[in-house]
Amino acid sequence: MVALLPCICINRKALKQEAGSELLYEMKGALELLQRVSAHADASCWYVAWSPAGTLLASCGGDRAIRIWGKEGDSWECKSVLADGHQRTVRKVAWSPCGKYLASASFDATTCIWKKTNDDFEFLTVLEGHENEVKCVTWAPSGNLLATCSRDKSVWIWEVDEEDEYECVSVVNSHTQDVKHVVWHPTQELLASASYDNKVCIYKEEDDDWGCRATLEGHESTVWSLAFDPEGQRLASCSDDRTVKIWKESTPGDGSTDESWKCVCNLSGFHGRTVYDVAWCRLTGALATACGDDGVRVFREDPTADPEQPVFFMSAHVPKAHGQDINCVSWNPKEAGLLATCSDNGEFAIWKYNSDS
Amino acid sequence: MASHFSGVLKLTDLDDFITPSQACVKPVKVEKKQGRSVAKIQIEDDGSYFQVDQDGQRQKLEKAKITLNDCLACSGCITSAESVLITQQSHEELYRVLRQNKQVSSSEQKVVVVSVSPQSRASLAAHYGLSSSEVARRLTSFLKNLGVHHVFDTGFSRSFSLLESQREFLERFRRKEVDKKALPMLASACPGWICYAEKTHGEFILPYISTTRSPQQMMGSLVKGYFASQKGVSPQQIYHVTVMPCYDKKLEASRPDFYLSKYETREVDCVITSGDTYQIDSYELLGHAGSGSGGYLHHIYKHAAKQLFGVEVDELTYKTIKNKDFQEVTLEKDGQVLLRFAAVYGFRNIQNLVQKLKRGKSQYHFVEVMACPSGSLNGGGQLKPSSDQTNKELLQQVEELYHGERTSVPEQDSRVAELYQSWLESVGKEIARPLLHTQYHAVEKNTNGLSIKW
Repeated sequence: MVALLPCICINRKALKQEAGSELLYEMKGALELLQRVSAHADASCWYVAWSPAGTLLASCGGDRAIRIWGKEGDSWECKSVLADGHQRTVRKVAWSPCGKYLASASFDATTCIWKKTNDDFEFLTVLEGHENEVKCVTWAPSGNLLATCSRDKSVWIWEVDEEDEYECVSVVNSHTQDVKHVVWHPTQELLASASYDNKVCIYKEEDDDWGCRATLEGHESTVWSLAFDPEGQRLASCSDDRTVKIWKESTPGDGSTDESWKCVCNLSGFHGRTVYDVAWCRLTGALATACGDDGVRVFREDPTADPEQPVFFMSAHVPKAHGQDINCVSWNPKEAGLLATCSDNGEFAIWKYNSDS
Repeated sequence: MASHFSGVLKLTDLDDFITPSQACVKPVKVEKKQGRSVAKIQIEDDGSYFQVDQDGQRQKLEKAKITLNDCLACSGCITSAESVLITQQSHEELYRVLRQNKQVSSSEQKVVVVSVSPQSRASLAAHYGLSSSEVARRLTSFLKNLGVHHVFDTGFSRSFSLLESQREFLERFRRKEVDKKALPMLASACPGWICYAEKTHGEFILPYISTTRSPQQMMGSLVKGYFASQKGVSPQQIYHVTVMPCYDKKLEASRPDFYLSKYETREVDCVITSGDTYQIDSYELLGHAGSGSGGYLHHIYKHAAKQLFGVEVDELTYKTIKNKDFQEVTLEKDGQVLLRFAAVYGFRNIQNLVQKLKRGKSQYHFVEVMACPSGSLNGGGQLKPSSDQTNKELLQQVEELYHGERTSVPEQDSRVAELYQSWLESVGKEIARPLLHTQYHAVEKNTNGLSIKW
């Protein structure tokens, strides 16, 4: 179940080209495999999430279970199994900002909330309401709000009070198809959602209710995932159209309140198949992607580029990181360069990324 | 086509009420020639179909059509429930009936009755910058000129609905110790809420829902029952149209519970929205105090306070709980809460109400539940704001005009009392009950592959 495989490194020569007045920088980096774990037997491992302290990893999968992993010595061991919460695949798990709660989104149309008690987790409550498969759950940085989204095309915003009671705050129907992912802004009370309808919606509370305030169009196929940059100034989206797009909010100088988001960077030609997940490291600003071609990639931003027109370079690439599609990629929030990925073959893997090797 | 049904109904998946099945029950008859059956089908650029025989002869193929009369909304075809409802009940249908009346003999003519809701009047009034009574006057004239025989106000049938609701509440309150599902009583006038409840919460929630008919269906009962017998016509000779602020009411009118199988006729044949009516007229109007959604909370509260605790309430004080669509009214005496009522509008608030009920944490005695945020005055079938007006501004205007109508107290209305006597009490409780009350049915979630929308 646990084995240390030889490390796989990509060596690239550092390249510095001058083309006209532009400087092209290609930073060489490397991804070293630390451990591969068979987490969910005979089923896909759909998602992995690091605890806020970075010491635990939660995984969830097609076997309807959630597993909590902790490091013992050099290896990751299973600490807990939460098996009775859901009747169908658990698609995503999310930790609360304080680390005391875990939320799980399932194809059984419910979202479970678990509370950490000593070393284990106990079932706290279930959020019902979605018509069918819940595709994502995410906690707002404030810890008071949660968002879920579903194949029923809606995005729900929930509020939790001091007595651990959850209530629906709003139900927004801005998408015309399955909503795949929702993510909160790191500092503002702002939510973004990605859908099978090829669009990204941005939500804010106005006048007593939540609604879609901006729609980002540009992807030519399903948008699978989203990630905000550490400061919350840009949003990365990844899609079935094999691109990753970077969006920036622009406030028009004429003083009008129309917010619009423009695509300021388009990473195309790097991925062989659908890009299922994208993660933006809070510590280093590196961008990692999970792809249907079984590869994991890390992109770095060119520090010399115009901030209004950012440039990203592929810094590391492991072509067959897993035996099947990679569903998720996640940066450890405390240890720079530590990366987790998981795949349809039921495994998750831990990697160490070095920006210069 | 963009859906006009309430947000609650949209999330409930209308197609589960009228679902697609494998075969249309009215297959189209096609003229078929005997002989060789080998032919090719060609599709032209304009979308027309041509059959090309072996000898090269081309024949344009006719489009298969089913008339609305033949369409039983069995959903044997891929037509969605929405489009069936909307085409089956439209102002065009009304015009068709009126036209037909002019062509047939008097014995075959239909008696056309139109019942207009106060909310529709208020919407039209706001749109045309008139008072509700002006609107009513003009609407009556217009409809009568078209050939409509009688124009009624559903404010009148609403009085019956309010009276029955008051009685039902007292009855439930009195048996609450014995019957755990007697309270909270949940209002039933909103079909969007009813369909959602039947489909999503099924057997759990239905016992709480008031069985009193809505003003629309109370009118259906009155028109095809009492009125029909008074006029000496049979129910199927009457064509009853209602004018409502939303599309969900079309679904309510087509419920099997409101179909008179003995006479093969619906109690309400056609529901058109405020937006569907273009001009207007009047007659005697009836407004009621309380919310723009019928005033159920207001009337039941006052009546219960008086009958159960001897307290005369003049004005109700509403407290906003989570947002403006979730309000509470409590009756307290000597520090004790005697009555706790709430008005819960819109999907997000309905969610929270039902979840609280499921956990046994609801403390309400009565809840006025409505599918649309801001209630019926904000229904999907109301007229839209003009270009220089915001939704909020229009809604405020409609609310003012709505409340500008003269109000009546149902218990003090002599005509209502008279009708109760002559129509209902004379036939006795057994027969009267189905005229004033209805039932609900849990709907199974449809997991048939055809109905899943990927």
